[in-house]
Amino acid sequence: MSEQFPEFFVRLDTFSSAVWYRTKKARYRLEGTRCTACGEIFFPPRTGLICPHCHERAMEPYECAHTGEIVVTAPDDMGFPAWGYGDALPRYLVIVRLDDGIHVMADVIDVDDPDRVAAGARVQMVLRKHRREDTGAWVYGYRFVLV
Amino acid sequence: MVGGAITLPNVPMEWTWRQLATEPFWQALQEVGLSVADVDLVACAYNDRSIVDSSIGPQVADALGMIPKPVVITSSACAGNGVASYVAWNAIASGRCDIVVSLGFARSDNYDAMESMNSQGNYVDFDYLMGLTHINYGAIRDAYYRQKYGATLEDVARWVYQCHWYARRNPLAKAYGQPMPVLEDLAADTPEADRDRQATNRGGVASCMVFAGEEIARQLTDKPVVFDVAYAYRSPYIGEFFNFPVAGLREHDLAEFSGLKVAAQEAYAIAGITTDAIDVAQVHDLTAYEGFMAIEALGLCPFGEAKHFVRANEMALGGRCPVNTYGGGAAFGHGSVGCDFQAGVLENFWQLRAEAGERQVQDARVGVNSSYGTHHSLDVVGVVQRGW
Repeated sequence: MSEQFPEFFVRLDTFSSAVWYRTKKARYRLEGTRCTACGEIFFPPRTGLICPHCHERAMEPYECAHTGEIVVTAPDDMGFPAWGYGDALPRYLVIVRLDDGIHVMADVIDVDDPDRVAAGARVQMVLRKHRREDTGAWVYGYRFVLV
Repeated sequence: MVGGAITLPNVPMEWTWRQLATEPFWQALQEVGLSVADVDLVACAYNDRSIVDSSIGPQVADALGMIPKPVVITSSACAGNGVASYVAWNAIASGRCDIVVSLGFARSDNYDAMESMNSQGNYVDFDYLMGLTHINYGAIRDAYYRQKYGATLEDVARWVYQCHWYARRNPLAKAYGQPMPVLEDLAADTPEADRDRQATNRGGVASCMVFAGEEIARQLTDKPVVFDVAYAYRSPYIGEFFNFPVAGLREHDLAEFSGLKVAAQEAYAIAGITTDAIDVAQVHDLTAYEGFMAIEALGLCPFGEAKHFVRANEMALGGRCPVNTYGGGAAFGHGSVGCDFQAGVLENFWQLRAEAGERQVQDARVGVNSSYGTHHSLDVVGVVQRGW
């Protein structure tokens, strides 16, 4: 916006608050699902979905391990930050192998020494702010910190 | 397969998406000697994040002059034109249709929506909503491949350099007519070199392929090409590239395109070939690392060995199996749903018919190509063989 363009004229696509509501259990506490028929565990959750392993439809909530190990890391320095994350650069993106074998992609925060964000480093899930949604409310979700 | 066409780079800004889609369709029919009335069905892939008109089947049919005949619409990201060719293959194989066209078009400047653009290809609920874009996906996959298999910057620079070499001999390539890059510059550890090792955007693009049953194909051309195609899925969530509980996928991880391997095995079985028979291959490579992973999944070399394949110049003319003679993502240009699969098929089509000019692979008889969508949760493999 400026004197020449006083109105906020850029139109953005945004996900509705309902989507945030539907995903909150997984975002807040890494709640996935376990197939009661074959025992396979999954994240993201497959609530109401069919198991790709045994093809039964018998998922129950399963809270994934909150600790794990970094498998690989890649800094987000490509200049295409996700909407709402522009002020958070550089971000330290990782894939974490949780202690129960589930893999998740997330970012490591509160990094004092970037060299410590490396394969093999132990991490723990924390619940933190992510960004503001279209209503202006803060969105919370899982992130990781070095242990 | 009897013909096909693809738009040149830098299509006019004035073209609407309808005109863009019509361009290769018309050109291919003209070259093959068919009229619109001869076409029984069009399978059309489009980019649903930039063409926001809902239910576009009637609109495409209207643009192509196909009404009232069917236009089957598919949307499967960059590999969508591969899925369209799958629909076309089945329409011919079933005996229901005599002549079918598979069409893909991408007009990414049609609708500006950064959120929808960035979210494409990710598991939106738990990646994009958590601030992870498809750019991040690609970067971390490449990093994992480097970590696991140890490809050097010089290795991937050689891949990109060879793609540029081919592109200077392909008038359809985006880099055609431009100066060759310097190998040492491509291998530099700088943000600029990193960018140059990735695909360049082709912008608005459309392509099509024309298929006919065997008898009719022989009437239309004295050099028909036999086309087979297969595709496979795997989980769209990046974490599930590890340890996914399905046979054929569980034993692989993020550094291996296991879905592509599954698709390739089915395509080879349908076509009745083995990897030893492949004379030329084209892969959809948004980064050189993806090219490495693709030729490994296609079976041109074992997993983790692409760097040796490249170092030994096996992808160059005269090598064991020339790869990306069309120019690859870095130099032909990334055409997304407009051409990322069909550009590979068309290049192999011209190679088999000895119509590839200075980049011609001698006596090419079997060509293979691959494309992917949504970060290799969808992989398509095509096989072409001489039909004469």
